[in-house]
Order: sequence, then structure tokens, then C-alpha cells
Amino acid sequence: MARAVDVPAPSLRQRPWVRRAAPLLLVVLLAVLPLVLPESTNETLARIGVFAVAVLGLNVVMGYTGQVSLGQIFFLGLGAYITGYGVQQDWNVVLVFLLACLGAALAGLVVALAAARLGGLAIAMVTIALPIVGVPLAKRLSDYTGGSQGLSARFADAPEATGLYDDQWQLYVVLVIGGIVFLLTRSLVRGKFGRAFAIVKGNEAVAASMGISPYRYKVLAFTIASLIGGVSGFLYMFVIQYTSPETMSFGHSIELVAAMVIGGAGSIVGSLLGGAYYVLVPELTNQVDSSLTALLQGVVLLAVLFVLPGGLASLVRRLGRGRRRLRAEPGPGASPTTPLSTAGSATATEEPGTERRGHA
Amino acid sequence: MAAELTLRDVSLQFGGIKVLQDVGFVVEPGQIFGLVGPNGAGKTSLFNCISGHYKPTSGTVRIDDAEVQGARPATLAGHGLARTFQHPALQLHETVLENVLLGGHSRLPGSPLGWALRTPGTRRAEKAMRTEALDLLERNGLAWAAHLPADELSHGLHKGVELCRALLMKPKLLLLDEPAAGLPHAEVETLIATVRRLRAEDDVTVVIVEHHMGLIAALTDRVVVLDHGRTLMEGSAAEAQSDPRVIEAYIGKDAADDAA
Repeated sequence: MARAVDVPAPSLRQRPWVRRAAPLLLVVLLAVLPLVLPESTNETLARIGVFAVAVLGLNVVMGYTGQVSLGQIFFLGLGAYITGYGVQQDWNVVLVFLLACLGAALAGLVVALAAARLGGLAIAMVTIALPIVGVPLAKRLSDYTGGSQGLSARFADAPEATGLYDDQWQLYVVLVIGGIVFLLTRSLVRGKFGRAFAIVKGNEAVAASMGISPYRYKVLAFTIASLIGGVSGFLYMFVIQYTSPETMSFGHSIELVAAMVIGGAGSIVGSLLGGAYYVLVPELTNQVDSSLTALLQGVVLLAVLFVLPGGLASLVRRLGRGRRRLRAEPGPGASPTTPLSTAGSATATEEPGTERRGHA
Repeated sequence: MAAELTLRDVSLQFGGIKVLQDVGFVVEPGQIFGLVGPNGAGKTSLFNCISGHYKPTSGTVRIDDAEVQGARPATLAGHGLARTFQHPALQLHETVLENVLLGGHSRLPGSPLGWALRTPGTRRAEKAMRTEALDLLERNGLAWAAHLPADELSHGLHKGVELCRALLMKPKLLLLDEPAAGLPHAEVETLIATVRRLRAEDDVTVVIVEHHMGLIAALTDRVVVLDHGRTLMEGSAAEAQSDPRVIEAYIGKDAADDAA
């Protein structure tokens, strides 16, 4: 029946050639952009990519699975420190990357095994402890972390063969790694595991009666979130090339939660927007008046939450739905989350980690 | 492969309150079995002992040959048990199809990494499960709603969706918790037809907790009547309806005398 309506006026987005060409176009665009943009823009985009990945991880456990985590920044910090240490020891960079991911995932697993057993808000309480413990720990373990001085590592110089500037090379690496993480997470949160995470968030009794152990899936979600946090830590070190105990301060962790909520909880596009918010808004408010930065950020936070409780992503979704309703064809396969493809292209310049199908 | 459910001497105490005392019965494979009794008789407590939400203080619950009392609900799904809830708990913003697909969870293979990578195996399994879910919706007259968000459907239809979700688990034993509660008469008729067809088409044992005597009489092969946590009688629905002890339990002794 839907097809009968479909034939006379097929939505632009539903046409097969558009569906195939749009991701391709986006990949080409993202491949060309770093070459033409000025250095400072490239650097900003790379930073947005780093924090978009961190917010994405937070979204897995908090947005999709409904477990409040206030410690995501700890896993970013852990990944950054592991990366910094590995680079200083001259380890192979691929090995360093894997260690950063696995180290963060392992730490997350251990924390979650204990915290998820307590249930309810206990996870939030335990995760508060992570950045609070992390900062002094990083100061104490100065043999590995450089103490309060921090740790710097230069390993992001563009290889000569590429003929790229460093900022271009860094952005490309962030785009590729971040893009892959986004695509993998996007598939994960649909299908079997996405439904399981959603029902653990929605109703644990129903989850259990479907054979989904809420405990095991909370641990799984938290571990995946930590792993993605580790990836963002590696990218952080790659782009910023310096980390200190301050990196994983509690304040930053809260800002990350705010960025996730503003971007849109339980949304892939929202994670990108959250990353953009995390990086851009402090810069903008700083330009307005540096003494009022925190205040202005608070105003932005409240304004967004009052106008768009579902975050910026809900705006994107609403626009997509409105357009679809105008065309009067829901399309059998189109779930409410499909506007992703337009969202990606509409805001491509702000979202470096998106939709790199060609590389995935 | 319908399962046999055996309860022996099941008792449940909360502090000093004896909710259930030595309740025992056997539900044979393929039977539709009713659990009835006035409010507060312990029906829901007994239901929760079977579904794993309560652990009986003493006694045994067996599904086929496995002793399952005290097992966690998530483990019981592995023994082939599925249940519906008195108040259907659906993911309201998701489509009906997505809600039903949740029931296929345990039958879908693959690791998180496999699903993240969308391996051919996971894609094939998801596609097959989708077909199965749509087929179930079709058989229960809900195919038209498959792609609507669940919150656009009525309470009665939610019950149908929830039943499809439970059936997608391919259960051997299905527990229905007050399926007729809050349904208008016409929808109770639909429900009766659905459960009847279930018995004819799927190989499953069904246990129903219900107040609605019409539904119990129309569907069940056998009932147990509970009162004050004890078994009052066991037999056919017709026997239960004419048993003076049951009438007394439902409407009180004086009223029963008046009626006689």
C-alpha cells in the first residue's frame, strides 16, 4: 500500500541512486575538506571528532542503556595516558592503540562488575568516584604519568610520503578511526543488542523475562562505553599531544554528560552534535566574555533543554519527520531513526566522524 | 515441544505472613490451565514463583525435569518459559515490529562485535527473525500495525503485541497474567480466539491467571482455585463454577447460603 503512494512521488532520499550516492558524496567531501580548510579549522574539527567519540561512548551506557555514568572522562584520560606512555617507550603505534582500547575496556569491566550489581543509582555513585580518584592517582604515579607536569607525546607528524600538513594528517586519522567507531556503534545499537540495551533502560522485569539479564547487559554496555572512551583517549593524545591529570577532572566529566544531553541522548547524530557543543561553545562564550564563560554555557544548556528536551538531535529528527509527512509516505523500512542520512550531510562540516562508509 | 509444569508443596512467606501454603498441581504438556481465585488469594504470588520473580520459601517448581524454583527470570527463559504482563510493558516510541523482535533475542546468534560489524550471519539471522515476527503479527491480525509506533495502539492491541513478543521466544510454557484485564467484551472474544488458535498451531503449554470467569470457562482444560494461599479445589472450569466452596470464596458465606 505504501508503495502505491510511493510511485507517483518518490522521496528524494528513497530513490536508490540517492541512497547509494549520498554516502559516497559525503566520503568524497570529507576527504577533500581537510585539504581546503585553514589549519585552525582542521584542528577544531579534529578536536570535535575526539570528543564526539567520547560522547558516543557515554551514549552507549547512558543514552541507550539508561545507566547514569559520570566517569566517562576517566576512560578518555586512561586511554590518553596509556597512549602517551606507550609512545614515550617507542612502542609500535598500532600496539599502543590496542592497549589504549583494551586498558580502558578492562578498567571499565572491573568497575561495572562491581557497580552494576548494586543496581539503581549506584552506578552513578561509583562512576563519580572515577575522576575523583583518577586525578590524584595520575599525580601520584609520576613515573608513568609525569605527575602534575603531565605527559606529552609527539607521534602525529604527517608521514612525509603523504605530503600533508600535520593538521590535515591528524584530521584524517580522526575521521577514519572516529568514522569506523561511529559506524560500528551505529550497527550495534540497532539489531539484537540495541533492543536489549533499550529494554534494560525501559523495563528490567520485561528484559529478564525475555532472557536478557539486566546485570550482564549493563556490564556489557559499560565496558563498550569504556572501550570507546579509550579510543577517544588515543585520539585525544594524537590531536592534542599532551595530557595532564586535569584532563580527567570531574568538571570535564560533567561537561561531557551535558554535551551528551544537549546533543541528544540515545542518538548517533546527537553524539556528533554533543562533541561539537563540547568544543565550540566554550570557544564561543570565551569570545563573548571570558569572565562569563561558565555562566553563558549554563544559559545555553538551559535554553536547549527547555526548547528541545530531546537534544539537538531531536530537531534534526523532527525536521526529517516533518518532511516525510509532507510527502505522505512513511516507507515500510523507515524507522523513526532513519533521518540520520540527511542529518549527516546537512551538517557535514561540523561532524567529522560521520558516515565514512567507504572506509568502514 | 510443550513443557510439563509441576508444582509440589509450594509455600511462600513474607515475614510472618503466609502467602502460599503447600500449593501443588501438575500442568500436562499442551494443556491450557487456569489459575483462579478471589483478590488476594495468592494467584499473582504463585505466578511470580513460577516466573522467577519470587523464590518459594519451600517446595519445588519443575519445568519438565528441571527444578527451577529460585532461578532468575532471565535464566527461566532458557527453560522455554515466556510470560506476558498484566500491564503490557512495551517500548512505546518503538514500532510494533521492533517490540515483537525483542522476543527473538535469545534465539539470535552472534557476539556484540559480530553485530557491530554486521557480519553476513547476523544480517541473515535478523532478516529471518523479522520475517518470523511479521508472520506472527499477520497471524494475530496485527500486520497492519507492524510499522506504527506502539503508542498509537490501544490497550487491547498492546496485549496482542505483547503476546506476539512472547511467542517469538518459541516458548514451551507460556504464562499469561490477567490477559483480559481492562479489555472490552469484543476484545476478550478476540483474545479467546487467539489463545485457541495458539493451542492448535503452536506446541505450547499455557497457564492463565485470570478473574474473568467467561474466559477461563471458554479456554481452560483444567483450573486450580486458590483461596487464602491454599488450593481450594482442582478440576474443570465447569466444576469450579458450580462448586459451593468456590462460590463461597468469591461472594462470601452468607451470600452463598442465600443463593442456595
